[in-house]
Amino acid sequence: MQAAGVFSTGAVKDHARQELIDLLDSVRGKKGLVIDPSLSGPLSLVAEFTLLKEHGVEKIYHLAPGKLDTDCKSLIYICRPKVGHVKCIAGHIQTHSQHGVKISYSIFFVPRRSLICERVLEEEGVFGDVIVGEYHLDLLPLEDDLLSLELDSAFRELYLEGDTTAIFCMAKALMKLQTMFGLIPRIVGKGQYARSLADLLLRMRHEVLASAEDEEASAKIFPGFSEIDAMVVIDRTVDLITPMSTQLTYEGLIDEVFGIRSTFVELDPSMIGGPSAVPSGGSSTAHTPAAATKAKKVPLNSSDRLFAQLRDLNFAVVGGLLSQVARRIHEDYEGRHQARTVTQIKDFIGKLGNLQAEHQSLKLHTGIAEEVTKYTRDKDFNSMLEVQQNFVAGIISKPHIDYIEELIDKQTPLVQTLRLLSLYSLVDGGLKTKQYENFRRDIIQTYGHEHILTLQNLARVGILRKQDTSRHVYPQIRKAFRLIVDDVNEHQPNDISYVYSGYAPISVRLVQAACQKGVGGGSTTWEKSVAGPAPVGWKGWEEPMRLLPGPTFEEVQRTGDTRVVAKAVKPKQKVTLIVFLGGCTFTEVSALRFLSQQDEGHREFIIATTNMISGSSMLKSLMANFSRAPLNP
Amino acid sequence: MLAGNLSPTADWNLLHDRFYCKQETYLMLWKDMDLSKFIVAAAPYGGPIAMIRDDKKILSLQNQTIKPVMHIYTSSGKLINQFQWDKGRIVGMGWTNTEHLICILEYGAVRVYDIHGEFIQFSLGQDAKEYGVLECQLWETGLVVLTGNYKLIAVTDLEEPRPKQLADPGLHQAPHSWTIIPPEFTLSKHLEVIVAVNATVMVVDASSVQDQMLSQGPFSGMSVSPNGKFLALFTTDGRLWVVSTDFQKNLAEFSTNSSTPPVQMTWCGTDAVVLHWPDTVLMVGPFGDWIKYSYEGIVHLVPEVDGVRIISDERCEFLQRVPTAIEDIFKIGSTAPGAILFDALEHFEKKSPRADENIRNIKPELTEAVDSCIEAAGHELHTGRQRALLRAASFGKCFVDSYNANRFVTMCQTLRVLNAVRHYEIGIPLTYSQYMRLTPQVLINRLTNRHHHLLALRICEYLGMNRDRVLIHWACAKIKVSVDDEETLCRLIVEKLGGRDSGISYTEVAKTAYETGQTRLATKLLDYEPQAANQVPLLMSMQEDELAMIKAIESGDTDLVYLVMLHLKRKLPPADFFRIINGKPLASSLLECYSREQDRQLLRDFYYQDDRRVESANAVVVEGYESGDITERINKFKVATKLYQDDKEHLFEAKATDDQVKLLNLQTTLERDTAHTFLDLTISETISKLLILGHGNRAAKVKADFKVPEKRFWWLKVKALVQSSNWDGLEKFAKTTTKYGYTGIVDTLLRANTPAATAQAQKYVQMMVKAGGQQEKDAQQFIDILTRSSSAGGLSLGSSRRGSLRT
Repeated sequence: MQAAGVFSTGAVKDHARQELIDLLDSVRGKKGLVIDPSLSGPLSLVAEFTLLKEHGVEKIYHLAPGKLDTDCKSLIYICRPKVGHVKCIAGHIQTHSQHGVKISYSIFFVPRRSLICERVLEEEGVFGDVIVGEYHLDLLPLEDDLLSLELDSAFRELYLEGDTTAIFCMAKALMKLQTMFGLIPRIVGKGQYARSLADLLLRMRHEVLASAEDEEASAKIFPGFSEIDAMVVIDRTVDLITPMSTQLTYEGLIDEVFGIRSTFVELDPSMIGGPSAVPSGGSSTAHTPAAATKAKKVPLNSSDRLFAQLRDLNFAVVGGLLSQVARRIHEDYEGRHQARTVTQIKDFIGKLGNLQAEHQSLKLHTGIAEEVTKYTRDKDFNSMLEVQQNFVAGIISKPHIDYIEELIDKQTPLVQTLRLLSLYSLVDGGLKTKQYENFRRDIIQTYGHEHILTLQNLARVGILRKQDTSRHVYPQIRKAFRLIVDDVNEHQPNDISYVYSGYAPISVRLVQAACQKGVGGGSTTWEKSVAGPAPVGWKGWEEPMRLLPGPTFEEVQRTGDTRVVAKAVKPKQKVTLIVFLGGCTFTEVSALRFLSQQDEGHREFIIATTNMISGSSMLKSLMANFSRAPLNP
Repeated sequence: MLAGNLSPTADWNLLHDRFYCKQETYLMLWKDMDLSKFIVAAAPYGGPIAMIRDDKKILSLQNQTIKPVMHIYTSSGKLINQFQWDKGRIVGMGWTNTEHLICILEYGAVRVYDIHGEFIQFSLGQDAKEYGVLECQLWETGLVVLTGNYKLIAVTDLEEPRPKQLADPGLHQAPHSWTIIPPEFTLSKHLEVIVAVNATVMVVDASSVQDQMLSQGPFSGMSVSPNGKFLALFTTDGRLWVVSTDFQKNLAEFSTNSSTPPVQMTWCGTDAVVLHWPDTVLMVGPFGDWIKYSYEGIVHLVPEVDGVRIISDERCEFLQRVPTAIEDIFKIGSTAPGAILFDALEHFEKKSPRADENIRNIKPELTEAVDSCIEAAGHELHTGRQRALLRAASFGKCFVDSYNANRFVTMCQTLRVLNAVRHYEIGIPLTYSQYMRLTPQVLINRLTNRHHHLLALRICEYLGMNRDRVLIHWACAKIKVSVDDEETLCRLIVEKLGGRDSGISYTEVAKTAYETGQTRLATKLLDYEPQAANQVPLLMSMQEDELAMIKAIESGDTDLVYLVMLHLKRKLPPADFFRIINGKPLASSLLECYSREQDRQLLRDFYYQDDRRVESANAVVVEGYESGDITERINKFKVATKLYQDDKEHLFEAKATDDQVKLLNLQTTLERDTAHTFLDLTISETISKLLILGHGNRAAKVKADFKVPEKRFWWLKVKALVQSSNWDGLEKFAKTTTKYGYTGIVDTLLRANTPAATAQAQKYVQMMVKAGGQQEKDAQQFIDILTRSSSAGGLSLGSSRRGSLRT
């Protein structure tokens, strides 16, 4: 799907891989590796099992509380700096020493060590027994154009708890990126934390240069060219509406239905086409509920060519495409009958491997598509989508509100209810006092009293709140950024709004405003505007930008030696980095890829995000979280 | 300073097929020196010389004090520093690669001095203390001692000394001799010690002892070559024997006919061994050839990477193999292109036409000739000859079409630097090879350490290196000795270092000021520090708590904020601690995160002192849920209710929590009355369960008590009726509540997904159709569902959107 770009995330991956190897080699001999489960996805993207084995890893364990039985003489822990993890490691060490087992321990924190964790190690009395190090696995390439810090609870930490560690991590990671691909000349952005990130980047650059050994060394820190022409930083609170809407691209829907974690999706093995060799095409095979079978982890990435083709499409188109591919593969298989001469047979055999891989992938995606279709055909899904689409289009009427009430009455899962209710609150500038009271009462009575905390959390981050005196600006935003596109064509999209069947994500419209100076509406205006030499920035958009929360800013980083820049900069294509703080959705990724393909690939977009989110995962992270004890009377 | 303008080959000596030369570098600046009375340790790379009177030697009490004094001299014999020694007997001394002097004391302690006499001390452990230290051996980063009970103790990293006992070689008396191979040269990359016992040697490392089964011993002396590959052994019957350090290769043997072991035995480069007896220095080559030099009394040999420095009472000399580049040019009868080019220049200067002839002869190799002249100039210690060689190179490159002059320019720069530091006032006699290995950066560090700040700064500027380290060092030194008032001093330093925009780090300077008791100056200087993160630790130690916190927040590094926070929490009484945290959003947030997981009491106190009732209440609610005891949970909720009530904005939470208490009480009663579990159910779930169990009246009471809306109750009842397949009941209920229509009922029935329920659904759909109007329209969707086969139809999305959007 993506245009062949100049920028490559491969270097980032190689970097991470080399560091992992160095880390493994720092411990001599055979060793056991204990991995924080939340990192197993990211790690498997960096290194395969055989590589670990080559570097002396004999066994791999998942970090879990309780006893760890092992016959390894040394253990390497790789985990996030979370207190829980460290306590668990301390537990392992204590039980080992009680049983007189002698093991050498190393802990590598990802991406940085933290004082709190070292404190806990000290308090548990094991600090002297471990070697503490860091594994700077920060921005992880999920795809050629998509980097993620994979900080699952980034949104909660940033906007609810006020813990800005994620911004610092992002800044560090972006500094590393700049040392590889050159300083990014322009940093523009929107939102409070986006501003903080930009400030931090400017400050860090100054600090890095100041601490260099000599001029020669400081000149070497950043390459003398800039592969990335600009960076657009988007604070998630600038656009909370987009994640609340249901993603309608193929990948987006897979995320909504199954949940994608670090490019992996867990599927029922029967879905992937079990033992049957018959191409299942469009016919529906009997779905046997196999509760006992273990879910299978399937990677979803662009090395699967069919998936690369489908992922960014509106789901409405997917069915047709799948049957086309099925027909083609069938014809290719039939090709064997035409093979008469030995050379022809040889040719066919040569293609066979490819064909089989394609066939396998086709099986997988028809399986997934079928399952997703079940979901999208559901009456409730469609009613929900209808209300959502009306909300974002600014049409709010009593039946829609009644529908939300009905969701509660029917005891629909809380996340679904909250998602729609939040969307309502967001597009209507909050709920009216009486409504707010009633909805809260209904939610508490139906889903439980503990959700008074959830509701407070949602109010605090501004997702679900009471109307106040502040201006109600969504209608203006909608018009200014042309969020609603009536003549959307899912088959031959001419605008990013296809990802939500008629609604364009605000975040990506901002990117268009900054980079293309226009938000679509006929390709003619585009061509005109792109031809202009205007640099990435908010010029011409000052007024509409004021409608969105948080500061709007533009910074210029001077790259000093202009001579070198001029020599090495790649002509023709520009690469622009879009940074999301608080997460981004798969639809936004698809929309940005769509933009990359526009205008003959003049500008390619690369995304760096704290994590991948959907409305549901975001809301779940905001729920009251504590371990509730069972009551005994 | 350097020998006169004799022929360059005048002091060359042939050793087998190689030339060696001994050149005087300095006439020593010290007066009336008698090295035989001293323990001497000189650092490689032309480093300083430390010496202290050897108390085993007879002392003439003419005009000397009895108390020993440690002297530190430059290689030219200029005193850098001296201090009284009263710390006990020194077993051995040596220098590290950072030019720190290591003194190993008899009672098992080690002192590490910098060049100015400041020291740190560490102990070698119990064994060394109890039995004392007999002997020691040092290398650039570590040391090994032999204790009184014949155990070997090693310290492999002097920066972080951790004495570790090596494997026990099982000695019962002192070995004849012993030496070490530093870790970087061994196969295993671990330290090895070679000990001469009886007629053989043992190789000892951390875990094993290996007898090499030799019979040539006993060995009274040994020395490892600078690259760790060869070992020179001196037998008691006066033979010198050289083997590879893995004892696999026999390299040379030479009989000296001296039964007394040499005073010192070391290497000159990697292919000659130098032995020293009183009055004599003997150099032995690999093929048994030898050169003998005569001296008066005792000298001190300092092995260097490319030769050996000989320090005698009067002079400092350098003995090395003549570098190939120089040999090529100056060797008598040499026809190397470089030699011919050098010769051409001489003819040219004499205006002789042979110059042209020479150049023409070597035309094809002219580039090579120029390069070799440049290289020879680098190795040449004599400034006059350096100049001549460079002139020859410069002359030669005129005849090369496009010679890249970079090498020439760099060499000129290098030579300027080398000649500057070789000056006797500075006294660092570095050769070109040593300089290349040492790197300019280290040279700068050594110069600054000796307080040659101006020279270091000039060299930095000349070579285009960062001057920051020199300036910072200067400022620190200045603060230590200055008697100026703080204002003047601060201005002076800022003037030299440049303000905040220079990017130079002020932390170390500020720290020095703080350590010398000039707190105000420290604070002032610290303000110029560009990196917030650097300021924090110092501010903390300076008790500038609030400022430290502000700077930590500025840095954006949350871990740094934690660092300050935890430090302050330990140090300050709670009220003061909270005062610093309050009003700083990031610090407050992080405190909340930390204490929520680690310290609940702290969280409660924090909310209480800041009067944050709602947060307090939330925390109490969480505690309630974390308790499995119903009475405790109810009590917590009651506390929370009160706290919520104090805030007008949170009456909803107050009411909800109060209701929850009521609900819990009610559920307790229900459990008693019905023998079913109700606790932990929500209000809706409680009603559902009651309806399913057939307690209609109780359900209605719950509905009334908690003001559950009619509509929701209706849904719950429909669901309960469908779930218990009470079709009659459902029909009756549907008839009494026609205002809600049948849509919800059909929907619930279809969702149950059983044949019976689906049949019922059919019935209600027909009723809807019959009812006509809106109901009939609504019925259509259900008819579709009921008739649709599972596989028909395409995938479509968004089709249900309003027509107006789709025009």
